[in-house]
Amino acid sequence: MRVTTGLEQTQFLSAINQLESSISQTQLQISSGEAFTTAAQDPVAAGLVSNYDQVLAQSQQYGTNGSAAQSSLNTEDSTLTQIQNALQSLRDLALQANSGNLSQQNLGALATQATQIQQTLLALANTQDGSGNYIFAGYNTQSAPFALTATGSTYAGDQGQRQVQIGPAQTVVIGDNGDLVFNQIKTGNGAFTVSAAAGNSGSVLVGASSVTSAAAYAGGTYTISFTSPTTYQVLDSANAVVQSGAYTSGQAITFAGAQVTLSGTPATGDTFAVAPSANQSLFTSVQNLVNTLSQAAGGPTSQVSLSNSISASIENIDQALQQMQDVQASVGARLNTITTQQAVGTSQQTQLKESISKLQSLDYASAITTLDQQNTTLSAALQAYTLTQGLSLFKYL
Amino acid sequence: MANAFGIDLSALQAFQQAITVTSNNVANANTPGYDVESIQLSSAPPQANGLGLNVGAGVVVDGVTRAYSQTAANQLNSTQAGLGSVNALQSYASQIDNLFGTTAGGLSTALQSYYNAWSTVSNAPSSGAAREALLGAAQSLATNINTSGAQLQQLDTSINTGITSDVQQINSYASSIASLNQQIVTASASGKGQSPNELLDQRDQLVSKLASLVGVTTSTNSDGSLNVFIGTGQPLVLENSTTTLKTIANPFNASQLEIASSDSNGNSISSSITSGDLGGLLAARSQVVNPALNQLGQIATAVAVTSNAQQGKGLDLNGQLGGALFSIAAPLANASVANQGNASLDVAVANVGALTADNYQLSYSGSAYTLTDLSTGASVALAGAGTAANPFTAAGLSIVVSGAPAAGDAFLIQPTAQAPGSLSVALSDPNGIAAAGALATSAADTNTGTARIGSASVIDPTNPNLLASTTLKFTSPTTYSINGAGSFAYTSGGTISQDGWQVTISGVPAPGDTFTVASNVGATGDNSNALASANQQNQGVLGNGQTSIGGAVSTLVTAIGSQTQQLNTAQSAQSALNSQAQSAVQSASGVNLDTEAANLLQWQQAYQAAAQALTIANSLFTDLINSIK
Repeated sequence: MRVTTGLEQTQFLSAINQLESSISQTQLQISSGEAFTTAAQDPVAAGLVSNYDQVLAQSQQYGTNGSAAQSSLNTEDSTLTQIQNALQSLRDLALQANSGNLSQQNLGALATQATQIQQTLLALANTQDGSGNYIFAGYNTQSAPFALTATGSTYAGDQGQRQVQIGPAQTVVIGDNGDLVFNQIKTGNGAFTVSAAAGNSGSVLVGASSVTSAAAYAGGTYTISFTSPTTYQVLDSANAVVQSGAYTSGQAITFAGAQVTLSGTPATGDTFAVAPSANQSLFTSVQNLVNTLSQAAGGPTSQVSLSNSISASIENIDQALQQMQDVQASVGARLNTITTQQAVGTSQQTQLKESISKLQSLDYASAITTLDQQNTTLSAALQAYTLTQGLSLFKYL
Repeated sequence: MANAFGIDLSALQAFQQAITVTSNNVANANTPGYDVESIQLSSAPPQANGLGLNVGAGVVVDGVTRAYSQTAANQLNSTQAGLGSVNALQSYASQIDNLFGTTAGGLSTALQSYYNAWSTVSNAPSSGAAREALLGAAQSLATNINTSGAQLQQLDTSINTGITSDVQQINSYASSIASLNQQIVTASASGKGQSPNELLDQRDQLVSKLASLVGVTTSTNSDGSLNVFIGTGQPLVLENSTTTLKTIANPFNASQLEIASSDSNGNSISSSITSGDLGGLLAARSQVVNPALNQLGQIATAVAVTSNAQQGKGLDLNGQLGGALFSIAAPLANASVANQGNASLDVAVANVGALTADNYQLSYSGSAYTLTDLSTGASVALAGAGTAANPFTAAGLSIVVSGAPAAGDAFLIQPTAQAPGSLSVALSDPNGIAAAGALATSAADTNTGTARIGSASVIDPTNPNLLASTTLKFTSPTTYSINGAGSFAYTSGGTISQDGWQVTISGVPAPGDTFTVASNVGATGDNSNALASANQQNQGVLGNGQTSIGGAVSTLVTAIGSQTQQLNTAQSAQSALNSQAQSAVQSASGVNLDTEAANLLQWQQAYQAAAQALTIANSLFTDLINSIK
């Protein structure tokens, strides 16, 4: 091929241009520490990095969400513990009142104490988190959910339960609404209540009761009525006899899948009502106990009716304790879920960072080697050019 | 004797000419487009002398010819056109590539911040700070998309500028070629067969420059003039006359320039121009810039439509159903200026999932409408009748035709091109953010059954009774009444719908159990709608439910990257072809100074020899004179 002077120049210039642009590219890579700065240099990796970056940011946000959820669940957890402590004191107090040898004055002191515990419970039910939100108010977090009334309390919150996203497909409920925690507590043994009629003249105490056969138990109202001090019959709501027999103090009476233990000496005509449990506010139960104690402190009452009332209150307090334990168990389970998810999130984040770094970070060793090679090529090209430029016939003329 | 003097004289003259030609070559060693010239010598026809011998009469200069290869020149012109086109395309693609980088110009970061801000609001729905931060993040997102959109629009404008200046340049080259044609024809006719080398060089140089602007094909006439054709054979130069190119507005979109020629009756010939810088600019607009703008618009539309829809399903801190968070322009529908009827289109986004980043053309044949996807050329099925009551639906759009179209009328529909520029935050009051669900469900405390009610989801935010309070009361474990009326069969876990919402009740209810669905006003701690908004980032919003918005951003990054990478490769390939073609031309026609130096020596020696011969002839003549004396 015939090489012309102009061609030599153009080819040299374009080669130098190309070499210099590669060197500048490598230089940019080294100074930025990134293998590519625009998508064109590695489209697939750039798409992946963009994707990973988004997943990483999202995962970090889930981590933040989880921490926030943890903090409010911890607040709820400790509040529930304090509520249980208060309920336990109340229960001890009721047992003390039920011991049968207290003076009216002592009962009055217990009534005052019970009122104080009620105030404590109210304060706990109106607990606010660090941001001033009421934790037992459902979604109505800005106003105190509970206020005492003569018969119990009012609830100003709603039944909302706030959820927090802690993973791509995982939400966790933070907080439990006060209606569920404090208002929806079953009375009696959880299935039914047994209460002595006001006009009973015997000395029968209501003891433990339970459902013996969930299959046979169908709810409904029953009346246990003593036809003589030694015989009883159980009537259903239509006054039909479902069960009758001889009464032995302390021996369980069983009917329709339920069992009730009565002890003491009945009078003929004494009746006991069995009714399905209903939801009752914790504050109503406490108020009932306070009322019972105050009444007893105010004047002589029959020990039997006092005892039956206090027993009913203790049963309700036990139900409340059970409820608090259940809620606390579920809070604990949720805290566990968050911890697990946080661990998963952290390891995912580490992995993502590693993947991004693998894709995007520059391999300095190879980049510097490349730069070295490019430099060598460029200086060789420059030298070759000066050498060939010296070769001209005109020099020898 | 006289003969020798004549021969020597012819030689001295010829070699002098040869040295001139060589000097001219040396002088033009670096002149672009110059073709190396050489002197053509031949021996003069012999003349019979008195002795009956045929002795040559010296040397004759036949002419000066240039080294020129038509094949190499054609090859060069064709690679010039290819390189011009790919250079223009690559330049626009790499501008977008640089603009978008690996984060789509920060879009993926802004998008993530926006959804994270929703998540933060869901953690503290009544916090003013979190709400302000969300509005800030929404504003950054809108600004980011606006900026990228404006930069892409800027590229569109610069393409228009490029087209205008290319067209001017092409016209100027064309008229220069036409005038050179004239000069060459005249010079050839008067030059007694001598070719006007310099004029030819100039013309070839112009054709090559023209080829880099718009691909050309040429043919040479017998009189030496050159015809130049562009595109699919449209004549640009015929002998000494030219066809003028001009720019016209796109019939659908006045801000987009197209190419027409003085004999195309005002019709666009853009589609036939596919090479050279001009072809590259047209391709950059339709293959690089506009698709990127449309894809960005698709993402912007998806964000705005889904965010606004979710807002409408929740309650803000003022107790109202949430208003739109973003405002965004509706799809653009332009009638062709050539339309004879008075119909206009009203186009709206009906289904974001089916929305594409393509442009469409709706044509009316006189009896039926057809919708064509301009990116794929495929026809798209139209459902509906095009009336306000029953609009056409296709490609995620609803299209209402009002007025009367004439047969042959056409409309251009750009579903998302306007979106990047028009996206803005419509909400300014942080309390207007609808973090709470619209409805609260509750179970009465007196319920004795085990049935539980789930949260209510809004199906139709426009239902006027949406926020009305509704009581569901169980009349038996298997039937319930709504607001005291009717008796409906209950299935545990089944959906109950009323007034634009739906809820699920599961479990065994007792007769008399009551559930209420009512407005959620006052529930400042409710975050359910914020949670749903934050969760939209994980949902398949685009591509018929297959692609998340973040996924679409990653796809955009990869698509622009691959396109640029491809064009980079194509550019390297075209440059290599072009430098090969240039080498071939140089090899055939370039000046090699060493050759010229050798030639110079050769002619110098020949000249010296001829001069010596003259001296000898002279001394012979002197000897003769002296002998006679």
